[in-house]
Amino acid sequence: MKDREKTITRRDFLRGATCATLAVTLGLFPEEEKTVELPAKTKVVLIRDPDAIDAKGRINAKVIQQMLDEATTTLFDKEDPVESWKLLVKPKDVVGIKSNVWGPLLTPKEVEQAIKGRIMDAGVPEKKIDIDDRGVLRNRIFRNSTALINVRPLRTHAWSGVGGCIKNYIMFVPRPEKYHGNSCADLGAIWNLPRVKGKTRLNVLVLLQPLFYGIGRHHFDPTYTWDYKGILVGTDPVALDAVGLRLFQAKRLAYFGEERPLKPPAHHIVFADTKHKVGTSDLRKIELVKLGWKEGILI
Amino acid sequence: MKHQFLSRYVVTSVFVITICIATISVCSTIKESEKSMHMREFVPNEIYGWRALGEVEIYDRKTIFDYIDGAGEIYLAYGFRKVMVFRFIKASDPTILVELFDMGSPEDAFGVFSHAREGEEQGIGQGSEYRGGLLCFWKGNFFVCIFSERETPAAKKAVFDLAEKIAEKIEVTGAKPKLLDYLPAEGLLNQSVRYFHLHASLNYHYFVASQNILKLNQQTEAVLARYQPGGGFLLCVRYQNSRRAKEAFDSFLGAYIPEEKESGIAQTENGKWVAAKLERVFVMVIFDAPTKAYAQALMEAFEDKLSESTSEEGRSL
Repeated sequence: MKDREKTITRRDFLRGATCATLAVTLGLFPEEEKTVELPAKTKVVLIRDPDAIDAKGRINAKVIQQMLDEATTTLFDKEDPVESWKLLVKPKDVVGIKSNVWGPLLTPKEVEQAIKGRIMDAGVPEKKIDIDDRGVLRNRIFRNSTALINVRPLRTHAWSGVGGCIKNYIMFVPRPEKYHGNSCADLGAIWNLPRVKGKTRLNVLVLLQPLFYGIGRHHFDPTYTWDYKGILVGTDPVALDAVGLRLFQAKRLAYFGEERPLKPPAHHIVFADTKHKVGTSDLRKIELVKLGWKEGILI
Repeated sequence: MKHQFLSRYVVTSVFVITICIATISVCSTIKESEKSMHMREFVPNEIYGWRALGEVEIYDRKTIFDYIDGAGEIYLAYGFRKVMVFRFIKASDPTILVELFDMGSPEDAFGVFSHAREGEEQGIGQGSEYRGGLLCFWKGNFFVCIFSERETPAAKKAVFDLAEKIAEKIEVTGAKPKLLDYLPAEGLLNQSVRYFHLHASLNYHYFVASQNILKLNQQTEAVLARYQPGGGFLLCVRYQNSRRAKEAFDSFLGAYIPEEKESGIAQTENGKWVAAKLERVFVMVIFDAPTKAYAQALMEAFEDKLSESTSEEGRSL
């Protein structure tokens, strides 16, 4: 009986009775709930620049720094980027930058360095900052961290639907496979573990060349990446992933000419919200601020 | 005296049991190692100048995540036993990777092949497809994936010819899951047919519910297929016995169409229709039928095919 109470069916999404985000992943279009009063919105900043990547596919570090600065100042309503970073980290903080090293689509060094530079500008000594992915559990800085910055590219994923901000913390558990059940439905639970809970100050979802469709278990084919040349910045990892998911839906529709629901549906994003209370996945409760280049923005 | 006798009896018994366990363990290790040797022979050492590296990686159900990370779950959802990974190298040409999966049964070799199938049949093994530099096929108990790190005309030719050679070496073929025989042919989109066991696999292909309302498990067999025109999905699950089928059927009706438990057919919120039926050890569900009549017709066609096939099988189900 208890299980039945918790069950969310496809029909619930069709009714729009629950968050719209999973409906997006299923290619469903629930009716808008017109009478619902929404709480204050979670702010997410999307910034794009046509010069972020040149014709040869090289990332322009200077442009990336400008994008990050503009995004953070907009996010925190500050004039000076360093001032916005001072809201995020203090000189006494020990800061881990949780990156992603997945070979075909890793977190670009230019983005990592732009973040690290600003953390140092905010007063944190370099020796108290480190960048890592698969070694975070053994990394001294991460083990003693008081603040985390989460940064990774957005991509589709063979077993969780998408790899985004939420999934990036799977390396904080010794046995990631424990979170693989039901297509990684409970990845959000990782964010409530003592070693990370409450530490994340900023999430950066890299949308420079997202992978919007995957083949086979290796999943990468450059045919299904595109130069979106954007980054998405916010304090709520669930909101960032929900926006990323919406972008994928739009891109897949544009590319394939038909709805192609994600396989599997990225329901971990919804459960990170509704079950694990890590953030908000409801697009109606997310304020998306768009800066910079608008051509081909899709969302 | 009695105590002494008992002690001696216990010690002897423990000794015999230990010897038996050790013997079984050694035998199964030898058997496993013989099987690995046998599998190794399926893959040639060289193809058009690409040479296989001497070291072959082997991963089993416990170590699969060391190789494939999260996507390892795809294989664990079936009877996966082990995968052997061969790397072929050639100076200045892309590396070619061969993955040879022992899936434990032909049904599950087909099942894992059907999991991601979208492309056209390539005529290799008992079923194959090629997409984005990745060639996959199944034959007998084996599922094989071959791909080059970069797609070049030479590498593509090597990938296809390697596949042909491996398929030739795997002499034993296997039957597809019997459940597939029950699918009505008219309107069936062949590439959409998925065979699986678990709730997570069903949700992967067609999200039904967050909980396992159809009570799928490692022993259940399920087939999901899409039909045109109309785009309806047909799901058929075979349970271990009629009691389990009934429990699953009731659970599904209660969670998914509680308003039409009696008739088992209802219009859903997107204007489409869902219909469910219990037949001995089978639970059949039609999802997303464009009309009620369509749902009923597809269900009827399925029941006819089921009845025809099972009577041909001459079994009481």
